[in-house]
Amino acid sequence: MSIEIVEMHLKLLFDLDNLLSDLDQPKYKKIGFKIRDEERLSLLQARKELLKEIPPEMAEIYERLKKRYDQAIAFVENGFCFGCFQKLPTQLLTRTKEINTCPNCGRILYWRKR
Amino acid sequence: MNLASLLLKERINLSLKPDKKDKVIENLVHSIKKEKDAELIVSTLLKREELGSTGIGKGIAIPHCRSLAVDKLEIAVGRTTKPINFNAIDKKPVSLIFLIIAPPQDPGNQYLITLGKIVQIAKELTKKNLLQQPKTPEEFIELISQTEKNLRKRK
Repeated sequence: MSIEIVEMHLKLLFDLDNLLSDLDQPKYKKIGFKIRDEERLSLLQARKELLKEIPPEMAEIYERLKKRYDQAIAFVENGFCFGCFQKLPTQLLTRTKEINTCPNCGRILYWRKR
Repeated sequence: MNLASLLLKERINLSLKPDKKDKVIENLVHSIKKEKDAELIVSTLLKREELGSTGIGKGIAIPHCRSLAVDKLEIAVGRTTKPINFNAIDKKPVSLIFLIIAPPQDPGNQYLITLGKIVQIAKELTKKNLLQQPKTPEEFIELISQTEKNLRKRK
């Protein structure tokens, strides 16, 4: 599986997880968007299927990070990991051909396209 | 937080071609992001729509999600030339769409505050029958700004 596809699945998984977490927020419910339980379950099912699309070792890392930090992916801005706000080593900043994790907090790093 | 200040005139399309819900969402997303980023946002928005339509009734829909593809809150607005089916809560067709994308990390929960504010303003616009009034993006921003001011005065 190409790295681009794995990355795309990871990003989608991350966005779905954020969606699931928003649905549980009292503020969100107060706005008035009604989500039925069976629809929520279908989203959890979609999440499960998406996880299967990711290599098992990467899926495991993702799940472990999610459990620990809630948000498993952090974006990189000006050479900093925006999960732990630590400066990333220079050699990491030039390596964009693979999925990288922050050497300090372990979060999966994401370089946003400009 | 001022909603009008988050609106950019180049992201307001008041003569959006009526199409299927998915296509209209796609169209609006492309005014914010392109290519892979747009694809990612559209997938998440459509997943959200599957959970239940964001058509809040009275002709208004507010598709929304968080996405890694953006680093700040981004809003696009579309008004279709003819109402479209959005499976809205009241089953009525929709013509005004506010699309909101927020970054995953959102200090101060600006996303949910903005979402709540848009719902409130949108309801006010329908109550006063003002949805079709603005003819240009500038007029639309002005209308939102005025509506916000009026709502604030009332508090």
